[in-house]
Amino acid sequence: MAHAVISCLHANLAAFEAVLDDIDQQGITTITCLGDLVGYGPQPNEVVELVQQRAIPTCQGCWDEDIIDGLNACECSYPSQLAERRGHQAHHWTADRLTDNNKAFLATLPITLRRDKLLFVHGSPNSQHEYLLPDMNAFAALERVETAGAETLFCGHTHQPYVRELSGGSIRVSVQQHGNGPATEQEMTLPMRRIVNAGSVGEPRHGTTKATYVVHDDNTGNVSIREVDYDVAKTCRAIVEAGLPDVFAWRLSHGFEYAERAEDASHVCER
Amino acid sequence: MERWALVSGLRGDLDLYEQIQADIKKQRGAAHLFVLGDMISPDRNCDALLTRLRRPKRGDLQPNCIYGWWEEQLLVDYGYRGDQKAEVRSDPDGATTMHQLREAVSQEHINWLASLQFGFIELDCGLIHGSSADVGDPLKETTSPLILLDRLTRLDVNRLFTARSGQQFRLQLTGGQIQSKVKDPTGEQQREQAVPKRSVIGIGSGEKYTLYDPASDRVEFLSVAVRSRLSNLGFG
Repeated sequence: MAHAVISCLHANLAAFEAVLDDIDQQGITTITCLGDLVGYGPQPNEVVELVQQRAIPTCQGCWDEDIIDGLNACECSYPSQLAERRGHQAHHWTADRLTDNNKAFLATLPITLRRDKLLFVHGSPNSQHEYLLPDMNAFAALERVETAGAETLFCGHTHQPYVRELSGGSIRVSVQQHGNGPATEQEMTLPMRRIVNAGSVGEPRHGTTKATYVVHDDNTGNVSIREVDYDVAKTCRAIVEAGLPDVFAWRLSHGFEYAERAEDASHVCER
Repeated sequence: MERWALVSGLRGDLDLYEQIQADIKKQRGAAHLFVLGDMISPDRNCDALLTRLRRPKRGDLQPNCIYGWWEEQLLVDYGYRGDQKAEVRSDPDGATTMHQLREAVSQEHINWLASLQFGFIELDCGLIHGSSADVGDPLKETTSPLILLDRLTRLDVNRLFTARSGQQFRLQLTGGQIQSKVKDPTGEQQREQAVPKRSVIGIGSGEKYTLYDPASDRVEFLSVAVRSRLSNLGFG
């Protein structure tokens, strides 16, 4: 059975509706969302309510968490003070407008969802703030999947869709114990694991303006990355009209992001 | 190059510390002393040891201290870590243990404990009580090499010295590889990554300590005869 995985909607209603249309046209009825329903975009209530209306199982993203818990992350993902200021502006704008009911909904979202050997998270199994980029150290990437007891890990947060297969791994070790006796040699064969990043519906950063998500087939294991056109100008206008920073509209219209990408993607936020 | 002496788990035992100081002095070339946490415990009053660590006697090897799991418990309980709850309080006897721990350490030492670092980076080595993931992470020789490699990678060090498990061991990553295939909207890339030659060294705890020579990369596991020892309360 094919199921769709979406992430990082970022209060972009036009993109979300276009992606839902694309999913519906394929006859896919199972959708999982990896969080970040709000932040940056101009329609947080509309997006949260549409997620509830469609009863889409959803993990809590870092933006969803911050709206509920307040801005108490270490802000490690902001590479500059300007970027941090814009992020805070968007946070306060969203927190002011989001209804109490919708905040309550965000507060109920789980950190992870699991279906058999499939694990769904926003950032990584360690943290909603950790970036699993496609060029992350392969052993460290495998450790995230394996330690979480999953075979395939679905994540978002980076806004860059990819499918990463980690296979054919082994580690040889030599162990010297107390007593200073001879060392023993061991070899560990590593399992094949996959990381699937769903990209971003509401704020793509992969080089085009198209909204992205993935479709995974449970039976074949096949994963396809879907790119969907939507009315980018409509969302950009709404961003400007809402009084959010113009740069949010500018970068959305270019399909990439200069400002808010983590400088040190391997850094895990410690609260 | 001068050797390092790596000690942990003194748990308030000044007598043990003095024995280790004396033993280190017998070892040729040992010039730097690192105390990797757990200077305190609820077992006994720790003030005399803490005072000695902060104000060494003439002839003592100057100790360089970081905090360990027990210090973390105390600091969390005193509110130095925000809203966190001390892990030890989840234990059935946690409230009693925490009361004993608070009694074991005078207020005059709390700010000093709070000023200690999570770890040291010296040359290409990381010196930590637990691991780069958590102060309570008990790395052992039986820990999955994949996890050990991750802990090394997080710090980007070639050698990680750890104390939390209390074990003395050296696990060297000697070889191996992994294939990584990435498919994204621009295409597909495949590459092989080799296992870096790195090590995790368990330095032991209490009477067991370790000497390390950075010049030769030689590790020596040592132990002092203990003249007196109090039974612990089950929190290792």
